[in-house]
Amino acid sequence: EETTPTPAPQPKKKDKVAPKNIVIPPKKPKLSKAERRALQEAQRAAKGVVQKDTTKTAKNVKKPDSGKANNNSSNKAADNATRQSANSKKENQNVGKVLGLFEHLPKYKGAELFSGRVSLNTDAKLKLHPAVTELGYKYANGTIRGANTRCRAMLEVFKTVIRDYQTPKDGKNQHQLSLNLDHEVKTIFQYWTTHCRTHSVSMGNAMTFLKSIIASLPRDINMEEAKELLCEQIDAYNHERIHLAGQAIAEHALRKIQNGDVLLVYVYNEAVLNILINAQRSGKKFRVILVDSRPLMEGREMLNKLLAAVSGNIECTYILLNSLSYVMKDVTKVFLGAAALMSNGSVLSRVGTAGIALMAHACKVPVLICCETYKISARVQLESITYNEMGDPKQLEVLPFDEEGKENLTLLNLLYDLTPAEFVSGIITEMGILPPSSVAVLLREMNPQENMSYR
Amino acid sequence: GSKMTNDTTSTSRETTTETTMPTNQALIDLQTHLKNSKELALPVAAIKSLLGVIQRSNSHTMMGLQEELRCASDAMIQWASKDNDDNSNNNQSNTPSLINRSTIALASGCQLFMKYVTRCFLELPDFTECKKQVLERGERFAGISLAARDRIAELGQEFIQDGQCVLVHGRSRVVGALLIKAATMYHKHFEIIVLEGRPDAGGCKVAKEFTDAGIPCSVVLDSAMGYVMERVDLVVVGAEGVVENGGIVNKIGTFALGVVAKEMGKPFYVAAESYKFARLYPLNQADLPDLTTKKLTFVDTAAAQS
Repeated sequence: EETTPTPAPQPKKKDKVAPKNIVIPPKKPKLSKAERRALQEAQRAAKGVVQKDTTKTAKNVKKPDSGKANNNSSNKAADNATRQSANSKKENQNVGKVLGLFEHLPKYKGAELFSGRVSLNTDAKLKLHPAVTELGYKYANGTIRGANTRCRAMLEVFKTVIRDYQTPKDGKNQHQLSLNLDHEVKTIFQYWTTHCRTHSVSMGNAMTFLKSIIASLPRDINMEEAKELLCEQIDAYNHERIHLAGQAIAEHALRKIQNGDVLLVYVYNEAVLNILINAQRSGKKFRVILVDSRPLMEGREMLNKLLAAVSGNIECTYILLNSLSYVMKDVTKVFLGAAALMSNGSVLSRVGTAGIALMAHACKVPVLICCETYKISARVQLESITYNEMGDPKQLEVLPFDEEGKENLTLLNLLYDLTPAEFVSGIITEMGILPPSSVAVLLREMNPQENMSYR
Repeated sequence: GSKMTNDTTSTSRETTTETTMPTNQALIDLQTHLKNSKELALPVAAIKSLLGVIQRSNSHTMMGLQEELRCASDAMIQWASKDNDDNSNNNQSNTPSLINRSTIALASGCQLFMKYVTRCFLELPDFTECKKQVLERGERFAGISLAARDRIAELGQEFIQDGQCVLVHGRSRVVGALLIKAATMYHKHFEIIVLEGRPDAGGCKVAKEFTDAGIPCSVVLDSAMGYVMERVDLVVVGAEGVVENGGIVNKIGTFALGVVAKEMGKPFYVAAESYKFARLYPLNQADLPDLTTKKLTFVDTAAAQS
């Protein structure tokens, strides 16, 4: 403690004399506006040089999540990860490099994940259930893709986690079960989103549902009953809003399919597959044109499943997206799937869908979007760049080229695109066929718990 | 009147004999309403007879009541569609002619009525209380529907200004009421061009009503719609039905009229009562339900003149 020697009895005024071991830095000279400006420019220029070498994953990992959990441990682990992957990044610099316009989009994380370093650090710190990491790997390497599949897999893993959940050893009270479970699922969700693959809208909505049922657990419920109740509710959500919704969509669509129709469908979508199978089994006579596209070629899975389900009794043409203009003149109706439905009626779907809708519109062919209501998002999106996702650029398989042009080449593998509402003739949901303008109404009707915040 | 035994349970299988009697009564009521007032719209008459079904009902459950209403409306729709196919020569004097009236509005009116009246039954445990509320709602709906045409005329006349030229297609009672109200009650000075509206030439009939009301009126061929479009200021049509994507189903030629009006930059208005909002989502012309199977006969005018 410093003592101030008072030379004369002056009780109010104290001379501040610093003790010997503290060094006061010299005061900064007051700069004029021009000088401050020059300093700022110099700093900015210096930063510009540094930024070219920093890895983009650093930005990605620190990005705030939809879960908004302030999880310090996972952020620290992420920082470690980025430092380590920065070293390996320099080798793949051109592959990871991204055009300025797309810098904000989530990147393909598979490369870092499978290098092994990220997983060891994060798993150990977060103490994740093995089912969680297993699913995380499957998300990252694309084994599990597609809105419905990812959502169902997520719900199954959450059920496993809930069933295996044990109260923490430090003896927290039972009534904190909701809080503990909530924290648990948020951690898991954030792990998937930041380290494996950014979540889909379907997963996000299912997550909102899960958080709401955890929050509404009765206070005096015991652990076993709580687990049972949660698993039941998750099963009900899965069954009603995914499985039964798909069947209802097939029923509604059946009324729109006439004998002699030529239906165009694009890559793989569960709801559209159900529609085709149901229509064929109901005896309608129609022809299918299946459009496929690189690099994922998901249309093959659609083709296999369709032919298997109807034992080959369907007339089907398989084309790639390039030949679309050739076939469109013969098409009578287009059935497209959706990854998400925006509130203004525009559709987020596999890249290529917007092109098909556009061409169908130009040829006056009605475009029907088949989408379960749980995929409806409260967002409004106007074009495909503000929200999208990038896949593995290596999948584009650009042929090896000589060294000269390499630094100017960036590979862009976008996964989604947005179809504006004016190109959509109708949206088939389990509630019936609606115009795009009615999507906002449906969102309000189907998700009353979200509306509570507006009251 | 018909009486049902009090202990019948309302399952569709058991009440096949019992429900035919109320539905016949509903049909008789419908025909009576139509005969009494020639200007009454078919859906409004149907709604009034459905009210009668509720009043006469001895059902003790909401589902039973709904079943009775459904049977009655199905019977009316069936009767109306059958009548469309009959040749006009076979028209009996006591059943009013329904030639060329589509049944879209009838079906949508009945459906909306049933949805509206049975909407809040979950709140009241006692069925007699419930039934009273159902009847109240039914009367309100019937009142709104009956007053609809006049209300539309009141709101729609504001779109007509002095010195304008209005184009109409065939005979629509709603549009007629609107224009006549604008001229007679609001003393607006405008002229009307009427497309004759073949095959029934309703335009010729409605032109007489307009001239009787003191509005200068010209009748032109349907094919002249492109020719006259530049000299009209707005187009007003009625609707058989309003479909879910915001479009309308109307007399043949309305679509072409809409396309020409849009191309020439003329506003196109539709005057339709709210009970015409149907649960239909047609993707194109072929997607419409079959509205009539009546065959047309074309008179060879050249041969007739010579």
